[in-house]
Amino acid sequence: MKISAPRQYVVDNLKYALSPSSIAVVGASRYSTKVGYKVIEGLKNWGYKGTIYPVNPRAEKIHGLKAYKTVMDIPGEVDLVFVAVPAHLVKMVLEHAVAKKAKMTVIATSAFKEIGRGDLQNRLTQFCRDNKLPLIGPNLVGMGSPYLNFNCGFIPYLPIKGPVAMISQSGANLLAALGTSQTSHFGMSFFVGLGNKADVDFAEFVAYGAKDPNTKCISTYIEGLDSPEAYVKACQSVVREKPVVAIKVGGSKIGVKAAFAHTASENEGTDDAYYDKIFEKAGAIRAGTWQEFLDISLALGMQPELKSDNVVMITNGGGSGLLACDHFERVGMPLTELKDISPSLIQKIRAYMPMFGSPLNPVDIAGTASPIQYKGAFRQALRDPNVDGVIGSICPTAVTDVPAVTDIAIEIYETYKHLGKPFIMECQGGGECNESIMKLRDHGIPAYPTPEQAVNAMVALRKYAKIKKMIG
Amino acid sequence: MSDKQQKDAPAYMLGSDQRQEWMRDYFFAPRGIGFSEPGIVPLDDAAMSAYNVAKSSYQIHPDVFNMDYLSKAVGLGKNEIVKRLHRLYDEHLIMFVMNPATQVYGWGLYYWLVKLKENTPRETKAKLSEWYQNKDDICTGYECSGDFDYFNGNHMRVLDNLLADVIEPWKNNPEIEFVHLCPIRRDIRESNVNMWDAPGDSYRELFWGKDQLEKLAKIQDKMDLTDLKIIQALNTKKPMEELFDFKVLADISGLDPKEMLAGIKDVVENKRILVPLFHLNFMKLGLTNHAYVIRLFQTIPSYRKAQIADELSRIPELNNVVEFTDSLYDISVWAYNEISDTKALKEKLNSYSEIEDIKEADIYRQFRRWVCRMDDQNGFWEECVFTDDFLQDRTVKDGIKCSMARKEEE
Repeated sequence: MKISAPRQYVVDNLKYALSPSSIAVVGASRYSTKVGYKVIEGLKNWGYKGTIYPVNPRAEKIHGLKAYKTVMDIPGEVDLVFVAVPAHLVKMVLEHAVAKKAKMTVIATSAFKEIGRGDLQNRLTQFCRDNKLPLIGPNLVGMGSPYLNFNCGFIPYLPIKGPVAMISQSGANLLAALGTSQTSHFGMSFFVGLGNKADVDFAEFVAYGAKDPNTKCISTYIEGLDSPEAYVKACQSVVREKPVVAIKVGGSKIGVKAAFAHTASENEGTDDAYYDKIFEKAGAIRAGTWQEFLDISLALGMQPELKSDNVVMITNGGGSGLLACDHFERVGMPLTELKDISPSLIQKIRAYMPMFGSPLNPVDIAGTASPIQYKGAFRQALRDPNVDGVIGSICPTAVTDVPAVTDIAIEIYETYKHLGKPFIMECQGGGECNESIMKLRDHGIPAYPTPEQAVNAMVALRKYAKIKKMIG
Repeated sequence: MSDKQQKDAPAYMLGSDQRQEWMRDYFFAPRGIGFSEPGIVPLDDAAMSAYNVAKSSYQIHPDVFNMDYLSKAVGLGKNEIVKRLHRLYDEHLIMFVMNPATQVYGWGLYYWLVKLKENTPRETKAKLSEWYQNKDDICTGYECSGDFDYFNGNHMRVLDNLLADVIEPWKNNPEIEFVHLCPIRRDIRESNVNMWDAPGDSYRELFWGKDQLEKLAKIQDKMDLTDLKIIQALNTKKPMEELFDFKVLADISGLDPKEMLAGIKDVVENKRILVPLFHLNFMKLGLTNHAYVIRLFQTIPSYRKAQIADELSRIPELNNVVEFTDSLYDISVWAYNEISDTKALKEKLNSYSEIEDIKEADIYRQFRRWVCRMDDQNGFWEECVFTDDFLQDRTVKDGIKCSMARKEEE
């Protein structure tokens, strides 16, 4: 249901969705293969420190915990009611939650608007709104935060700690992102699946992300915006402090139908241009593909904005440099030659490359580059007042000491990060490159396996600078 | 209907004129595969909402049942009935269940008798029972003593799956004397209520023998006669309007009461593919079942076999009546030892010259009631595990199985 702006009581209560002192799991099951069991198992296994109240009218005990027939039978206060019962029982559970004065409710249950029960979904939503009980969902997978060891839902992963708040309408893609977080060291501050977003909307989680100290970038996976006005308002109030990334799917001819069947998203009458305008107005940075969405979210979460187009790329591989400079041009931000950025930098950087290297831009310090040469080139580029951002690239030749160069990159970044210049790494190769990427990410440096990904990341940082300037 | 729709639409529906058309072309009834057979209602369909809401909430809202009707039927105030139903559930004496017509859903319903070898140690039987209790692939099961030790049951689409994954572990067990597979031909009565295969129009008729309820009230102290009459009233055949309070169902679910009523009426009264009923926890009530598994002479014609099963189903003391097919045994009937004259029943059975042999056993423990677990001693009362082989190939040892099955094998 529509909202025109983020509602304060909702934003205030979202902390109970991500950091509740107590949770009632309605639909808790005694069977280890069922969702209602997995939710509690997940909470316990990931180290949730609060109180868990299983609710099941049939059971005495679940997961070793005393079970209650209804939420109202729970003796203590209930911050969060997590609902995992069939759709036909949700109304009753919501009434119990209101009677119990719960602070927040999350509905994992499907079979509402997405299967044609829009009226029922709306009536339940209105009931929650009338009683100031924010409702997340229905039809969602869950939410959590690695900073709080909190994983609530039927989610097999807890992401690693990091700067990106992942607000997703799709459970599957959220799970994909969480899996990626573990395997690719994509750090998150919190995550939530909004599902049908009957009540709590993107806008309110965006506003919450602004207040969350661990969040540096707010990323939104959108299948349809029911309340574009609220989204725009929320983003506008946030983007001065924190960037917002958006990916909008379900715009293709058949995607419109698929998005409705998935999360009841209504896209009739909208097209890509419509969403372009919304994101532009909101100051959100739009990603075109899932990979780009993750890549630029990571960069925006880890690095400051890029204040000018003056980016220098330093690589030991001419090929990766070419891929990068072509892509820079393709996306509308061509690299400037080094002589036009900073003539003196050419001479300074020559000291760190063999005679067959190239000080053009990309700067090719050649396949024989040692860690010392990398260190010098990085340092010179970052310290140059005319340079506003650096992309470092490692190609694993037979003489390249990838781990040592990785350590150099980390050292240089730590030394010069106070300058506020984005520093991005690209490492295209095998296992040692993958390890390098993980290590770099763990140290706050966005690192990618292809030059194009690194370029996209740098371009997003530039876009963010322009958005900040425009909003003032 | 447009030409295209007509082309896409199923040509027949269950219980409809179109189905009769089908029967003109074929000698066998259509059999559902998955949920796509025209006319079949999936168990989570909107038409099933009334049952599903009641099933999920009667534990805390016994008023999902029609209290006006019950109050009139048993002469008690509504609050008193609600109070009693609460207690009966909380003490795990009753369970609200349903029987879906398995043949409509495309399942086969199979029972099998298991006999352990003479002198099998008690501990071995206990171990087998424990394995059995936790084997989710088995949806019904009884422990017995007498001519056989277990009377087990499953619904399955693929007989090979049953043989490979469920029967085989039994048969390969060194303690097993025999396993006899008894596929159900007709499910005539279950839990004292006639099923869809009952003769004539006795579908959903409730049977208790003369004075059986009075006797039952006397032999135990868990349910008095009034309690039993409440359950009797709920299990008695009546229009759906009298079974449920659709206003309460609507209050709980937010769904439209008229749509819920229309849906469940169609499923239960028109299509006859579902029997909602209350199951008594006979174990807690101190009852034991006496099962007679009957073998007819194999030269008896089919029509006579069916007639005998029908005749037996007119005996009200029998709480379960089923007819088998393609097996050594033909009919099984059960009566409660404590409230029935089992000698007289045996005499009645022996009066049939067509009966060649009767195996008998007393049943004192039930593991599951279809997919609902009955073992409240393990904290699993009413936990439902749907056991179906749809899409699975259980003959492949390392193949993909449902998670329950895989867990069991590990």
